[in-house]
Amino acid sequence: MSLIEINDVHKVYKGGEGEVHALRGVSLKVEEGEFLAMMGPSGSGKSTLLSVMGALNPPTSGSMLIDGIDVYALDSERRADFRHEYIGFVFQQFQLVPYLTALENVMLPLAISRYPDKEQREMAKNVLEKVGLGEKCLRLPNQLSGGEQNRVAIARAIVNQPPIVFADEPTGSLDTQTGQDILTLFQALNREGLTIIMVTHNKENLDWVQRAVFIRDGSLEKSESYGPRMAQEG
Amino acid sequence: MRLTNIALGNLKRRKLKAVLLVLGMVIGVASIVGLYSITRAMQEDIANKIDEFGSNILIVPDTGDASISFGGVTVQGSGPLKQLNMSDIAVMKTIKNKETLAIIAPKLLADAQINGKRALLVGVQFKDELKLKKWWKITWAGPREIPGAGEVIAGSDAARVLGLSPGQSVGIKGQEFKVAGVIQPTGSIENDGAVFMDLGTLQQLTNSPGALSLIETAAWCYTCPIEQVTAQLQAKLPGTKVQALKASTQSRDDTVKKFSMFALAVSGLIMLIGGLVVMMSMMSSVKERTRDIGVFRAIGFRKTHVMRVVFTEAVFLSLIGGIIGYFLGMLAAMAFGPVIAQTGVKIVWQLQLALAAVGGATLVGVLASLYPAYQASRLDPVEALRFI
Repeated sequence: MSLIEINDVHKVYKGGEGEVHALRGVSLKVEEGEFLAMMGPSGSGKSTLLSVMGALNPPTSGSMLIDGIDVYALDSERRADFRHEYIGFVFQQFQLVPYLTALENVMLPLAISRYPDKEQREMAKNVLEKVGLGEKCLRLPNQLSGGEQNRVAIARAIVNQPPIVFADEPTGSLDTQTGQDILTLFQALNREGLTIIMVTHNKENLDWVQRAVFIRDGSLEKSESYGPRMAQEG
Repeated sequence: MRLTNIALGNLKRRKLKAVLLVLGMVIGVASIVGLYSITRAMQEDIANKIDEFGSNILIVPDTGDASISFGGVTVQGSGPLKQLNMSDIAVMKTIKNKETLAIIAPKLLADAQINGKRALLVGVQFKDELKLKKWWKITWAGPREIPGAGEVIAGSDAARVLGLSPGQSVGIKGQEFKVAGVIQPTGSIENDGAVFMDLGTLQQLTNSPGALSLIETAAWCYTCPIEQVTAQLQAKLPGTKVQALKASTQSRDDTVKKFSMFALAVSGLIMLIGGLVVMMSMMSSVKERTRDIGVFRAIGFRKTHVMRVVFTEAVFLSLIGGIIGYFLGMLAAMAFGPVIAQTGVKIVWQLQLALAAVGGATLVGVLASLYPAYQASRLDPVEALRFI
């Protein structure tokens, strides 16, 4: 059984200018431990697919199973619980909460857990050290560089050890070197068993992933698998 | 980290807005506390005055025309239907609300020639009468004590007209009496124009043992059921007229009641405005934090978690506003109360009022943030994070 199974998913947005078909019958399987890229031009529907796969955006039709669970059969609150347990997000522009320190941002998912404060702090510190930000954990987001903010966002996504992380254009606003550092970090996490699904429009990012699916006009155009990648080679 | 840390962290970031919201709450609570304290003090002042000055029920024979009167009560008329007497006092003590009859002051009225002039004699039991007329200021002949059977006290007008002064002897109905004291002007004809003497003595002098002309009773404490007491006395004493006196304090009481109603209306308005301020502020806060809330929802916060964050902010600010508002309101009441109430009102710190102010402010905060919290909880993370 695949970790994620999407079958014939359609997503239609109704707006003032009529209906927009963002997804048109997308079917996709993602295996546990995969590092998958979703490629496509702007407006192709890749971010919508990410939100649907991330249990945030119910499809208009079709089904999606994660770990055998029909996510959209759950009510809104249970789906929130599901996201908390199964999914980590690295958003575009990182979306760190500006009035919380790096450490507090990482602790956010733990705020609704049963971990005592001390343990939360330890967990968050460990993860921040893992992404190379142990010494800057008490800084506010605006005191960190773009790459550092991205690392905090990654730390927040993995702090409660979800099996899947979705990343939406994680290198979009970073310079080439910083972007590559982030992808190397993703690759390292993937090697530890984390399933990573990354939306990107940058073909250079494909050097780090195991597979890429190409989306155009809301449909899956093709899927390409790759052999051992850059960091592994290095 | 707990949800509270998130709420407080946000307040720390939005210091100016938080301060303005607290300020709004402080003004609201302080106004209400101030108004309430002043109104309450005024009511207490009235109650004290009524208790102090109130000989508030008058029992008189239900009879006709007047020749000499005491507070509108006939001394000599065409013949009473029922003559009051000392046994009626015992009857009065059998009514249901007998405990409200704090002082019973029986009186016998008679006229007499004193120093060649006609005068009103009022026979009283001095012990009860002096208790009843606490506001009498008496110029005593000697050390202050309850006058005896051979002594009289003269009202200021009576003393002037009849030429009486403290310590002087005066002949009344063939008997010598000592003027134990003269009452300073009270502004009341009944008190100023009469000569007060021992009730038993006057009954002997007028040859009417046990007879009474009227009975005054201090029953009207502020919270006593005066209408009920009056009705009970009337039922027990047929042939008499039992009437609750409209003391001068009554009109002031009416004014205070009107002020209380005004204060209540203003307080309601202030609470409404305070609630709206909190609501607008929280709505703006939610709008400003659309993306943050989107992140919260995306990483697994339930709607109830988001609502709790909003509530925590509102409760925290309202709590602070309530506490500061209470103290400011009390201080304002102490400073301006006497000016507003035009009397020496005493404002006292009250724990109950403090709890009500802080609790009320918190409740307003919670109620006012219900909609913003609901709005926040319904934010679609997909839209909030611009996934579309």
